[in-house]
Amino acid sequence: MLQMQDIGKLYQTEMVQTQALREFNLTVNEGEFIAVTGPSGSGKTTFLNIAGLLEPFSSGQYMLDGVDVGKLNDNQRSDLRNQKIGFIFQGFNLIPDLNLFENIEVPLRYRGIKTAERKRRVEQCLEQVGLAGRARHLPQQLSGGQQQRVAIARALAGEPRFLLADEPTGNLDSLMAKQVMTLLEELNRAGTTIVMVTHDQELARRTPRNIQIVDGQVADFTLYQGVQGTRENTQVPLGV
Amino acid sequence: MSEIKPILSALTRSKTGAILLVMQIAITLALVSNAMSIVADRAEKINQTTGYDEQGIISYTLLTYDKDTDIPKQFKEDIRQLKALDGVIDALAVSSIPLSRSGGSRTLSTDPEEHSGKTADSGYIRANHHVIGALGLTINEGRDFAQSDVIYGRDGDYPSVGIVSRAVADKLFGKGNGLNETVYSGDDAFKIIGIIDTLKSQWPRSKMGNSLIFLPIEEALTYQKFIVKTTPQKRAQVIKQIEPLLLDLDRGRVVMNIKGLDTSKADTYAGDTLMIRMLIAIVVFLVIITALGIFGLTHFNISKRTKQIGTRRALGARKSTIFKYFLLENLLVTALGVVIGGVGALVLGRELMGHYSVPPLETSAVLITAMMMLLMSFIAVYSPARRAANISPSVATRSI
Repeated sequence: MLQMQDIGKLYQTEMVQTQALREFNLTVNEGEFIAVTGPSGSGKTTFLNIAGLLEPFSSGQYMLDGVDVGKLNDNQRSDLRNQKIGFIFQGFNLIPDLNLFENIEVPLRYRGIKTAERKRRVEQCLEQVGLAGRARHLPQQLSGGQQQRVAIARALAGEPRFLLADEPTGNLDSLMAKQVMTLLEELNRAGTTIVMVTHDQELARRTPRNIQIVDGQVADFTLYQGVQGTRENTQVPLGV
Repeated sequence: MSEIKPILSALTRSKTGAILLVMQIAITLALVSNAMSIVADRAEKINQTTGYDEQGIISYTLLTYDKDTDIPKQFKEDIRQLKALDGVIDALAVSSIPLSRSGGSRTLSTDPEEHSGKTADSGYIRANHHVIGALGLTINEGRDFAQSDVIYGRDGDYPSVGIVSRAVADKLFGKGNGLNETVYSGDDAFKIIGIIDTLKSQWPRSKMGNSLIFLPIEEALTYQKFIVKTTPQKRAQVIKQIEPLLLDLDRGRVVMNIKGLDTSKADTYAGDTLMIRMLIAIVVFLVIITALGIFGLTHFNISKRTKQIGTRRALGARKSTIFKYFLLENLLVTALGVVIGGVGALVLGRELMGHYSVPPLETSAVLITAMMMLLMSFIAVYSPARRAANISPSVATRSI
C-alpha cells in the first residue's frame, strides 16, 4: 500500500536548513492499523504531510498503491489524494459555513460524483458514524466528539484505500477519544488501512503495530523505550 | 459550476461582508451609470456642430468714449484696415456674438396679432450682408442677403427680409416650410429669404439653442461688437494685431474681449465641462473604492479561511478549483450587486429626470456599466484568488 524508501525532507530558509526527515524507510501493508509516535519535532507531521501528498519530499522514493508519487505534478497529486486518501485532522477541519451534509460531500464534489450518488454516500457515512438525521446541522452545533465523527465520515465518503489520522483524539476528552478510537478500529476491521499519528501512548498501544520517529528517522518501538528525553531535529546553519 | 450551491450556502450563513459588498457594488453601479449618462449627454451637447467656422472667427467689442469720433466713418476705416491684415478674410459689426450667452431675443409670430398665430422665441443678430459668409454658415434653402437688403443705422426702416434657422421656420410654419413666408414681431415684419439647417444661437444650452434670425441692419454704436473672419492658420497672429491696430487708428476707445469663437463656446460650456470632469473624477473614485473593497474583502476572506483552503486542497481540490471557487464566489456577489444596482440606477435616473434637467437614463448605459463592473470585479479578485490557489495543502495539518 505505502512504501517509503530513503525519504529525505529538507526545509530551507534564508538563515537555516532543517533536515526534518532523513533516510526514512517505512512499508505499510494493506489492512494494517499503524500508530506513529515520537517526541515533538521528531518529524511526525512532516511524515504525515508527505504520506498524505500534502507536501513534496526532497529525496528518496515514495510508492502509494503502486504509484510513484515523486513523478506526479500538483494536479495529479491532488487527484490521487482525493481518490486514495482520507484525512482525519486533530482540529477536525470542518468548514464552519457548511452544514454536515455539505462538509461530507466536499471531496465527492472534487471527484465530480453526481448529486444522487453523493447523497447516497453522505447519508451512508453519516449513518456509519452515528449522526444520521443531523445532516443539516452546522459543525458548531455539535460537540467535539461529534465533529470528529463528521470528519471521519468525510474521510470515509470517498471510499479511500487508506486513512491518515493526525492526532484524531487530541482535542477530545477521554470518553470521546475512546469512542473515536473504537470507530477507527471498526473501520480497520472492515478492511481500511489506517496510519495514525499520535502523542498518546495508551492509544498507540491499542494498534497492532507502532512505529516511532526520532530525529526524522524510523526507530523501533522497543528501541524507543530506551531513549532518554527528547532529541530535537538537527539544525545546520547555511553554508556549514 | 457544481460549487454554486455550497458557495451560496456559505454566503447566506456568513453574510455581513457579502451584503456590504453587494451594497457597495449596487450603489456604485447606480451612481456610475447615471453619472456616465449625464457625462455622455453633456459631452454630446458640447460636441454638437454649431454651423460656425469656430476656428476661423475672432470677436471683439469696441467702446468708443471720444465724443468727437465719427463712429460710422471710423468703423469703415477700421474694417478696411483689418481686411488689409495678412490672414483676414472679412470683418463686420454685429449686434451680438453667437455662442456668447449675450445678445437680444424676440418673440416671432406667423400673424400680426401675436396671440393669433404660432409663435417662437428666437435670438437675433443684426449685421450687414457679409454676416452669413463671415460666420462660415451655409444657407440650405433660399438665398443670402444682398447689399440692397441692408438697412443702415437703427433709426432707419425695418428690413423687409431675414434669414432664419431651420428650428425657427419649423416651429412657425411646420416641418420643411417657411421660405418666403412673412414673420411678424411687434410692429415689424420680414420675409424669410433663407433658411439655415445647422445654426446655434447666442445661448446654445437654452431652449432657444437652435433658434436664431439674421436681420440685415448695419449699426455703428458707441458700444459695438465685431467679428473678424480669418484663415484658421493666421488667427492667433491676427488676434495679437487687432488691439494695437485699432488704437493706432483712434485712441479714443477701448478694445475688449478679443477672442476666438471657439473660446466663446468653451466659456459658454465651462459649467458643463467642469461637471463632466467632476463626474468622471467621482466615477473613477467610486470604481477604485469598490475595486479596493472587493480586493480587500477577498484578501480578508482568504486570510480568514487559510486553513479551510488548505483542508479543501488536502481533500483533493486542485489549485484551479480553489481559484475558480473565489472567482465564482465573487461573481455571485457582484452579480447580485449589479442586479440591485441596475434597478437602483433606473429608479435614480427617473428621480433625477423629475427634479433636474438630465436626460432619461438609457438601459444600454446601465448594461454597459454593469459589464464594466463585472470586469472590474474580475480584475480586483484575480490576484487574491491566485494567492488562495497557491496555499499549500499542508496548512491543513498545522496548528494555526
